[in-house]
Amino acid sequence: MFNNAMGLILADNKKISLGELTGPRALSAVPFAGRYRIIDFMLSNMVNSGIKNVGVLTYNKYKSLMDHLGTGAAWSLDRKNDGLHILPPYVNSEVTNVNGDEELAGILDFLKTSRTTYVIVANSNVVLNTTFDDMIAAHEKSGADLTVMYNRDANKCGSPCYIIDCDENGFVKDMLYNPQKASSNKSSLGIICLRRDMLVDIISKQMSHGTSHFGIHSMVKMFDEIKVYAYEYAGTALRINNVQAYFKASMSLLDENVRDDLFWSGEPIYTKVKDEAPTLYIDGSSVNNTIVSDGCRIYGQIENSVIFRGVTVSKNTTIKNCVLMQDVHISENCHLENVILDKNSFVRPGVRLVGHSDYPVVIGKGAGI
Amino acid sequence: MSKTDVVAMILAGGQGARLGVLTKKVAKPAVPFGSRYRIIDFPLSNCVNSGIEIVGVLSQYQPLALNTYVGNGHPWDLDRNNAGAYILPPYQKSGKSDWYKGTANAIYQNKDFIDDNNPKYVVILSGDHIYKMDYADMLKSHIERGADATVAVYEVPWEEAPRFGILNTNEDDSIYEFEEKPKQPKSNLASMGVYIFTWDVLREALIADEADENSENDFGKNIIPMLLGGGKKLFAYRFAGYWKDVGTISSLWETNMDILDKPEDINLVDRSWKIFSRNPVKPSHFIGKDGSVKDSALTDGCRIHGEVVHSVLSESVIVEKGAFVKDCVLLPGVVVKEGAHIERCIVDFGTVIGKNVKAGPTIEGEGPYTNHKICSQGITVFERGLVIKDDVVIPGNSMIDSDVEVSDEDNVIASTFRV
Repeated sequence: MFNNAMGLILADNKKISLGELTGPRALSAVPFAGRYRIIDFMLSNMVNSGIKNVGVLTYNKYKSLMDHLGTGAAWSLDRKNDGLHILPPYVNSEVTNVNGDEELAGILDFLKTSRTTYVIVANSNVVLNTTFDDMIAAHEKSGADLTVMYNRDANKCGSPCYIIDCDENGFVKDMLYNPQKASSNKSSLGIICLRRDMLVDIISKQMSHGTSHFGIHSMVKMFDEIKVYAYEYAGTALRINNVQAYFKASMSLLDENVRDDLFWSGEPIYTKVKDEAPTLYIDGSSVNNTIVSDGCRIYGQIENSVIFRGVTVSKNTTIKNCVLMQDVHISENCHLENVILDKNSFVRPGVRLVGHSDYPVVIGKGAGI
Repeated sequence: MSKTDVVAMILAGGQGARLGVLTKKVAKPAVPFGSRYRIIDFPLSNCVNSGIEIVGVLSQYQPLALNTYVGNGHPWDLDRNNAGAYILPPYQKSGKSDWYKGTANAIYQNKDFIDDNNPKYVVILSGDHIYKMDYADMLKSHIERGADATVAVYEVPWEEAPRFGILNTNEDDSIYEFEEKPKQPKSNLASMGVYIFTWDVLREALIADEADENSENDFGKNIIPMLLGGGKKLFAYRFAGYWKDVGTISSLWETNMDILDKPEDINLVDRSWKIFSRNPVKPSHFIGKDGSVKDSALTDGCRIHGEVVHSVLSESVIVEKGAFVKDCVLLPGVVVKEGAHIERCIVDFGTVIGKNVKAGPTIEGEGPYTNHKICSQGITVFERGLVIKDDVVIPGNSMIDSDVEVSDEDNVIASTFRV
């Protein structure tokens, strides 16, 4: 545990769309693993590392994210000093759209008010449970200016994919974006650490060069100017780059090793508490190989699925390989297979919906079938 | 009501000796209930849902777990700037200091706390009932009838009336007499242990009661009769919803089973009257390929690879492959090992049921742990933090207690650990 770093989470990603799932919300606010949102993992990782000051950078569709984060109390980030800071686009009435650098100006202000030595900056498309102590230690030992976390999933991460090439000392010598042919199996996890004063310098420089967008990989790409070290993460890291990847990541939670790595072997993952009742399994229900959250009423059959909070599955209904998000209601005599149902959607009696494991059917938030 | 009009006081200091080993280390209100709750969540949530924001929790017996659980009151929205949840243990005073001698004495010792908040009314609650009740409606009736005290009552079956404190009322529900466990009851209106007093009246009564050396300092036995004798206006407030005392092993077990058999009665899914609780911060529960769950209630962190039938499981319970659990109440962190077969068991925090253990009412006879004083209906209770030996057989009505002295041969406990 250290308290010499602050965190910055980029809550959305213009390169990533999960179709209907990111229609109403930022990527980081997409529900995941039964009772979480994607951002819960990175926020918890930071808090579990002893970080007490976290900025969440958003640019649009941030209502559901703000509802979720609230004061930050669920992550113990409701603090007098530091705590959780939501950084919406920085709009200055006098200079709006003059040079489009509102986003960067907002970050700069936030960075300048902190007193920590380091900053951890993270994207929102990776789910993992870790602390950053080892990464910071490796960063200090290497003498690098910036350290990027990677794993060896290059051949299976899908776009956007940043392949990194390192020299024999572990320093980045090349980075390729979605290459046709990968030159290494090292793929960035979109998490970096660097000195706070250096990040302030980089952003100031970017602003004076008229750059408006803040991106982790645009900084990793500076390996010609600064020393960029690559730090390997060997644990489970689920990339959520598109709907297929989201579905695959959800299904991978049914693997005990993945669940152990994400939930049981490390520090706890915090999320907003809903105070739902316990889940009741009633009458002839039958459930196998499935994750179920609180507040559900299960009367039907479920297999290989992820069930969020407050879901109802009625009698004579079978659910197979599905993701049913919060408050979904499935009526009687239905058959659903390879389907993702977003929050509050409902399925009327007798409906049969079958997707393919590579292309699940996605039903949008609040839709009725 | 304005939030400063009312202060609620929850009497949470009792031991609850009839719960046996379950209350060896924790006070009764901190005993887990209904998969994701503790008993005290019910009065605390009722207060908040009724709009009461100043809640004193009087703790005395084994207060550590209870104090930690209530904490700053955050899970119940009771972390307010000028209100909230306050843990009130007995404290040393210049002059005479004492433990809480009785329910009335506990309030008497905290009259400064109540005075500081300067309320018009005080709600007195006990921490050992499962019910959902709108105290604001009860207060409305108290004010409308110009009462000095209002006692919530519940109509119990006549044959059960002799077990309760009974209130005898006139036609307008004004109370003329209180009888503790009457042999020949004149009424079937049982006191629920929920009182609203006009504070000035109660304050005076508490001071007079304290001066009486013969008093047991109890609300039912002393304060109510004193007010009746003094010509004060006392009314009964009839409550018709679900209300269960969970003071005994059998009633605790039955009330847990009610969640499965009559979920509409307590209606925990009602989002307009949520029962709040402190969250354990665990992932959603998981039912494995070999797992099976029927007619049961589960919550976060459970991992089920065996068979669970008609049981209530608290957070992070593990049921291994080939284990069978029926009609059980498993409290947080319990592990049921491979091949174990348990029925009608209440297993406290973290206890590990060894491989192929058989326990339940289907096993006849009596053993060294048989305890008819605490256990009935074939229910077996396990203390917290035990590792039960593999292959042992335990008949129903047993209480597995590490303090019971048994021969090595009869001992079912392999080891104990702190939870």
